[in-house]
Amino acid sequence: MKMLRRAIAAITLTGIAAAVLRIRGKGGVPPERGGWRELTRPPS
Amino acid sequence: MRDTSVAVVGLGVVGARVARQLTSSSIPVLVHDRRADLQKVTARALKAREIDSAIDVRPDETSVVVLATPSGQSSLTRRLVERGVSVVCTSDDVEDVRDLLELDGVARANNVSIVVGAAASPGLSGLLVAELASRVDVIDEIHVGVHGTGGPACARQHHRALAGEAPGWHDGQWITRPGGSGRELLWFPEPIGGRDCYRAELADPLTLQRAFPSASRISARMSATRRDRLTARLPMMSPPHAEGGIGGVRVEIRGSRDGERRTEVAGTAERTGIISGAMASAVAVAALSSNLPVGVVVLGASAVPNGAILDDVIKRGITIFEYVGSGI
Repeated sequence: MKMLRRAIAAITLTGIAAAVLRIRGKGGVPPERGGWRELTRPPS
Repeated sequence: MRDTSVAVVGLGVVGARVARQLTSSSIPVLVHDRRADLQKVTARALKAREIDSAIDVRPDETSVVVLATPSGQSSLTRRLVERGVSVVCTSDDVEDVRDLLELDGVARANNVSIVVGAAASPGLSGLLVAELASRVDVIDEIHVGVHGTGGPACARQHHRALAGEAPGWHDGQWITRPGGSGRELLWFPEPIGGRDCYRAELADPLTLQRAFPSASRISARMSATRRDRLTARLPMMSPPHAEGGIGGVRVEIRGSRDGERRTEVAGTAERTGIISGAMASAVAVAALSSNLPVGVVVLGASAVPNGAILDDVIKRGITIFEYVGSGI
């Protein structure tokens, strides 16, 4: 029974750790130069 | 033009827009939807003719059919092609797109075109890559980013996509990666801005690899929130909106010009249904004008008048942006 409780606790902790790693994390760095401009196509 | 009428099958968010755009271009339209009341209302509003069945089209009066039905367009496409009608498909389901790409022989035997991927993604993604391709000598990599959904069927498809197997072209062979993996922060034109995007079961690599066989790496990612990722393998928690909000498509190509490495990025931000409607309309007009090659056609391929179709899409109100500067 003690072993089973330890196993369940280990699985639970692993799941929590995996969920935290999955949903948290650093985003990227925004572009510091440049930007979007309308694309102009040559007249066909 | 061989004929002047186009049949639109499926009158949801995309199909209704296609029918409206074509009628406003003075092209006679036939409409069909499995929802009889919706079909009647749309036909009356657009002064379009109703057809009882999706294959109830006569090749002598209708040469192009636009399919804007929820996934599963390949069997209907085959039946229409065997009747001698060109088909414009808006499907974004990976299996469906695979099946559609197999219909090249049937299309050639019947001397018609099947356009596979005439929506936002795949579709506009191919046109944008073709537009950027002229800026490099060689394309090595193509990476697509998608944000937002069109109608409810599209939203369900995207929900499934995040839990599916993401196809990718990697150094000359197909690979699959788990959907929801491979987070990358991608920047879309405003007002979307930066979004975390993940691999997903998207069909763009399948069509883009056909159009640009020399590219060694092709991938597609879609934006998702933390909640999207956690619930991707569950049924949708709440019913999807009738029409999603602002969406976007973004393509990035990496290659070289005069021996220098180059990265080019282009994209758009608009309601996904509007992008798809404009795309399918522009492709239908090109098909109606017999400007497309016979067989399976993917946008971006060299035999396709990509520039003319993109011009038509822009005329229909879709603004295309390019990223200038560095650090994206």
